[in-house]
Amino acid sequence: MDPTAAASGEAAGGRGPVRRAVLRTAFTATVIAGTGGALAPVLLRGPGAGAPEERGAPEPERFWERYRGREIRGTATVMVPAGGQSRAGEAASVAGVPDVEVRVDGRPLHVMRRADGSYLSTVNHYESFPTLLATARAAVDEIGTSQLSTASPHTN
Amino acid sequence: MYSRKDQRNLTRTEKKRLVDAILELKRSGRYDEFVTMHRQYYVTDAEGRPRAAHMSPSFFPWHRRYLLEFEEALQAVDPTVSIPYWDWTRDNTPAASLWAEDFLGGNGRSGDRQVMTGPFAYRQGNWRVSGGATDGRFLTRNFGRPSAPVDLPTAADVDRAMGDPVYDAAPWNSLSTTGFRNRIEGWGISGTRRVANHNQVHLWIGGSMAGAGSPDDPVFWLHHAYMDLLWARWQSAHPRSGYQPGSRLPDDDPQRDHVFAGDAPLPPWDETPSQLLDHTGVYEYV
Repeated sequence: MDPTAAASGEAAGGRGPVRRAVLRTAFTATVIAGTGGALAPVLLRGPGAGAPEERGAPEPERFWERYRGREIRGTATVMVPAGGQSRAGEAASVAGVPDVEVRVDGRPLHVMRRADGSYLSTVNHYESFPTLLATARAAVDEIGTSQLSTASPHTN
Repeated sequence: MYSRKDQRNLTRTEKKRLVDAILELKRSGRYDEFVTMHRQYYVTDAEGRPRAAHMSPSFFPWHRRYLLEFEEALQAVDPTVSIPYWDWTRDNTPAASLWAEDFLGGNGRSGDRQVMTGPFAYRQGNWRVSGGATDGRFLTRNFGRPSAPVDLPTAADVDRAMGDPVYDAAPWNSLSTTGFRNRIEGWGISGTRRVANHNQVHLWIGGSMAGAGSPDDPVFWLHHAYMDLLWARWQSAHPRSGYQPGSRLPDDDPQRDHVFAGDAPLPPWDETPSQLLDHTGVYEYV
């Protein structure tokens, strides 16, 4: 199976929850009018698997594909302060941490980020990846035929 | 005062006593508390909160204190044991005695990566992992990660890190391109360098060691004892180089509230990096 065959920015359509209000917007857009709450979700979409991998500069993404026989999917929803201003340095990257969701065969893969915007997961804690897609594929490579745990990550 | 030995020099009896003490901590539930603790202190440098254990100058002192607590727990079971170190520049193949049936067991099998040999194999009935990312309760390894091959670091890799006379440097996180700390901790940096040393060894072993439950694999302790030895060796090589940052970073430094200066108490022990700089008097490496 071609692991990249189903991956594209459009691939999520019709598969699982479809988010209709897809805003084509820059990663740094911060102001969402008319939201009452402190945070406004903005679903971002990327160019899909065909894009060159740029380490440290993750593209907003949405993907679905079969990879090594596993179904992997992911979305990045950026939570931005409504009307908020980005602050300098680390604070800026914190303000822009996307609410990401990655699943392998339907099970959640907990994803974290580094200061350069790259991603780590509970499966790969000592190496980061430029995209959610690369993070999901690396997790599949590492776990072999196992399934992800259904337990909540980082619970004490 | 006790000795931490090179694992390659342990006698058969020493290996057995260490394995038995580890299994007893597992049986009592104490072992899994250490695994949980390591997960709790895994904070990344995008999170905007204090980082004691990783991506941070206190990588070395935090893990020194963590190993001391584990060693204390081991010694409460058997006062004769200590944590050996694994010099992976030397014992750098799957055939090393470290991975033999009488010590840590070997590589995981293909498919589910399950370790099938040695005292920590699931089928022996004494080792159910708690902190892993997968739903299997067995220890996993994936030596060399065939899907994207990775080697163990070499003596030359370690020597390059040891040659840096500065302990750590701005931005005091996983993106520090200079300084002994991140050269050994080994975060890959886009356009600059690949995963190295400490992190690279976690990748090479793979499975449990690559993920959130890395202390689920007992080799974790032997790997970190070697990191601790390298820190001591670096201090000896650069006697005028102190822990950095020595005091709290200035108001305008974005890392001010996120990293631990030499005089900042490290959780959960409330001991400062400065108090953890010197291990002599507690243990020695032989």
